[in-house]
Amino acid sequence: MIRALLGLITALTLVVMTCGDLAAQKSAPILSGPLAKLDIKPAQIDTVGGTARGTLTVAMHFALDPGWLDPLEHSYAVTQQMYDYLVHDAMIKPMPHAYVTYGLAEQAELAADFRRAAFRLRPGLKFHDGQPLTTADVKWTYENFKGAYAKLFHDKLEHVQIVDDRTIVFHFREPFIDFMDLYNGGVSGIGWIVPKHYYEKVGRDGFKARPIGAGPYKLVSQQAGVQMVFEAVEDYWRRTPATKAIVVKGVRDLTARMAGLQTGELDLAFGMTGKLLSRVMADPNLRWDPNFTGPWWLMFPGYNEPGSPFRDKRVRQAVSLAINRPFLAKQETQGIGKPWGNWISPENRDALQGPEAPVPEYNVEKAKQLMAQAGVPDGFEVEYLPFPPYFDMGERIITDLRSIGIRGKLQSLEGPAFRAKIGQGRKGIPGNRTIVQNIDPRAGGAKANVAVYTVCGSPASFVCEPPIEALWTKHQASLDLAERERLVKTIQRIVLDEYYFVPIYWNPFVAAVGPRVLPEGKGFHRYWDTLNAPYPWPWEVWEVKADR
Amino acid sequence: MRKYVLVRALYSVVTLWLLVTIIFGLVRLTGDPVGMKAEAGADAAYVAQLKQNWGLDRSLPRQYLSFIGNLLRGDFGHSFEKSLPVRDIYFERLPNSLKLGFAAFVISIVLGVPLGMLSALKMHSWWDNAGKLIALLGLSMPGFFVGLVLIIVFGIELGWLPVLGKGRSAFVASEPATWVTFWFRDWGHLAMPAFALGWYFSGAMLRITRSGMLDVLGSDYIKLVRLKGVPERMVIAKHALKNSMIPILTFAGLNLLIMVNVAIVIEVIFNWPGVGQLLYDGLSNRDFPMVQGVVLMSGLMIVVLNFTIDVLYGYVDPRIRLSR
Repeated sequence: MIRALLGLITALTLVVMTCGDLAAQKSAPILSGPLAKLDIKPAQIDTVGGTARGTLTVAMHFALDPGWLDPLEHSYAVTQQMYDYLVHDAMIKPMPHAYVTYGLAEQAELAADFRRAAFRLRPGLKFHDGQPLTTADVKWTYENFKGAYAKLFHDKLEHVQIVDDRTIVFHFREPFIDFMDLYNGGVSGIGWIVPKHYYEKVGRDGFKARPIGAGPYKLVSQQAGVQMVFEAVEDYWRRTPATKAIVVKGVRDLTARMAGLQTGELDLAFGMTGKLLSRVMADPNLRWDPNFTGPWWLMFPGYNEPGSPFRDKRVRQAVSLAINRPFLAKQETQGIGKPWGNWISPENRDALQGPEAPVPEYNVEKAKQLMAQAGVPDGFEVEYLPFPPYFDMGERIITDLRSIGIRGKLQSLEGPAFRAKIGQGRKGIPGNRTIVQNIDPRAGGAKANVAVYTVCGSPASFVCEPPIEALWTKHQASLDLAERERLVKTIQRIVLDEYYFVPIYWNPFVAAVGPRVLPEGKGFHRYWDTLNAPYPWPWEVWEVKADR
Repeated sequence: MRKYVLVRALYSVVTLWLLVTIIFGLVRLTGDPVGMKAEAGADAAYVAQLKQNWGLDRSLPRQYLSFIGNLLRGDFGHSFEKSLPVRDIYFERLPNSLKLGFAAFVISIVLGVPLGMLSALKMHSWWDNAGKLIALLGLSMPGFFVGLVLIIVFGIELGWLPVLGKGRSAFVASEPATWVTFWFRDWGHLAMPAFALGWYFSGAMLRITRSGMLDVLGSDYIKLVRLKGVPERMVIAKHALKNSMIPILTFAGLNLLIMVNVAIVIEVIFNWPGVGQLLYDGLSNRDFPMVQGVVLMSGLMIVVLNFTIDVLYGYVDPRIRLSR
């Protein structure tokens, strides 16, 4: 009898959890007229409750920036989202069960002509100070946003209409077809809602030092660059966070992170790649998740300049043929990395993958023939720019290229200098005999990567070809989502077929956890289920032993 | 004397101005910091916004004048990388560096001075050879190596000491209760980084103590004291030790400043939140205000120390103030 009753309660709980937002789906429409079809999944609300317990200590692989706590100045860097998911909450955001899910909003609509977007907030939302979160905060956040894509959002906006405390409509000057993609918390910061009353009271610096939001954790203390301590907000609307406190430390040194894991001072550490990866894998007390991010790929800046050997497609193809991808992945990642056929992460919507983008073959003889046919049988010298600090990988690729006569000279730059060069695209890397090794786990669908690297007008463009340009222009003018998807895939096809970019392998950005992280065994991999997330959010689901 | 002090003060101000100007120019030679934060594909408006936020949209002379003006008001600017005022971040970190620096300083003195003296007093003996060996090891085994060995032995294998950070104690200026407790808590966290840092300097201290002591022991007045039949213990304690301490203390003062300000490697290995890490982060990220602030504060400490020494010399030895 008791067992049956428990079974019934469990079943009911599951129904409530999975159908938590069914009510939202049945709400009255906000916008009049035809609507665009949106694929936003309901939030999974855990009504069972529970108690937050234990402390999770996390090590980032760089110094912590208090600026990450301020969504209004959200950078392009995906790292900032780690803090968004702790302190703040977004209208819509990626979660483990879907890339676009309802967050603060329980209903969203987009007019079929893409000139209006509307949201309805959940009832009873509050910031950490107990003040209600209303559409006034949503409007204020949008209007005061200064981060990545801010100009686009502001240029497109005609006005914001507050219907009531829970309903808001954005009116655009022209069709804004990418609005929902960009407004998604996984892509930009504008949808992470900031408390107007508090921000205006404490100001920009005050907010970075002591932010409050509507997220599952509130900041308790921080030492700039060193440590941030967060405490669970037990009445968070989606569920009670499982862990009572999360301590985030900036630990730049890989050896120190490894030591911290081994002594139990750390429970989770990122960036456990490189020379210590084998030790992580061999340690019986540690578990690791491959945490695939984006694929590595090679680019040829200046390929279309006069005198460049890379002007000839056969030379670019020869480069691809000369790379022993499985061996490279084995050497660099203990075999975790997967040889890959696209430069865009398969977790991105519309990215070519599998049979659409097979792994390029390894065939040195064929590569030599192509070099001979291209008139460079003896090869040539190139500058090789590896992505810092992956210099070993650069050396290995140079060794592969030497087998077909391409003699690379490794230019090791520090991370910021490399990023600054890449940010300027082919203009940042003068000369016509350079190979650049890059990686970019960018969210926002395949089109985001296409727009950055393969379109002439992008500041970081490395490919500028009339056929691609024509397709991209058509893409930008199109209001047909299926056509846009087709065009983005066609551009990827051209980039790969023409060997403008040479994909290598899908990179694991290994994270390791210690014995205090629950569940024991392999269940912890679920923390990495969110798509396009190099860090394991959402944080409210993390469980640890309650011994601290 | 007043004129002498004024001249020394003027020299100090000019030195600081030169330092400020040089560091302002040097950090800007490292390149554009905006490109680092903007990421690939950042739109021009975002880049322009960053430049404006960081004051890099103005001409260099205007940036310089604004920098000097802010400095005179005690404002080092906002960190590009850490988004908060450099002054706040620096003074939050400084007590941690002082704690580490003083602890390492004590270790270097406790190890270096007695061993150096022993080595000098028992020249060419087993003690001397042991002292020389320790000095050699101290100078040739870099701090990061010693640190890693300590971490493996005492942190991982024995599990006696924590390997990361400084512990929970914090020095908070607005909370007087922390002013004292900060220095006497979390010694477990301090032990390994302080030893790894102090180890190197103990080797140097041992050598300078030994050579200073040998110089003094070979001097005429020590010979005279011995001829007068003064017991050897008194010769060493009252006459030799006192006089040999002058170069040792000068050297130790400089060492202390170095340990406080540029213990970068040790701070990184042990994740010790000191100003050395701030400088490292600043340099790695082209955080101009942070680098300027940290270098300026280090420079200020050295200039103040030198000024103080100059003034004390002037008081102690009138020939100095008359000759300058």
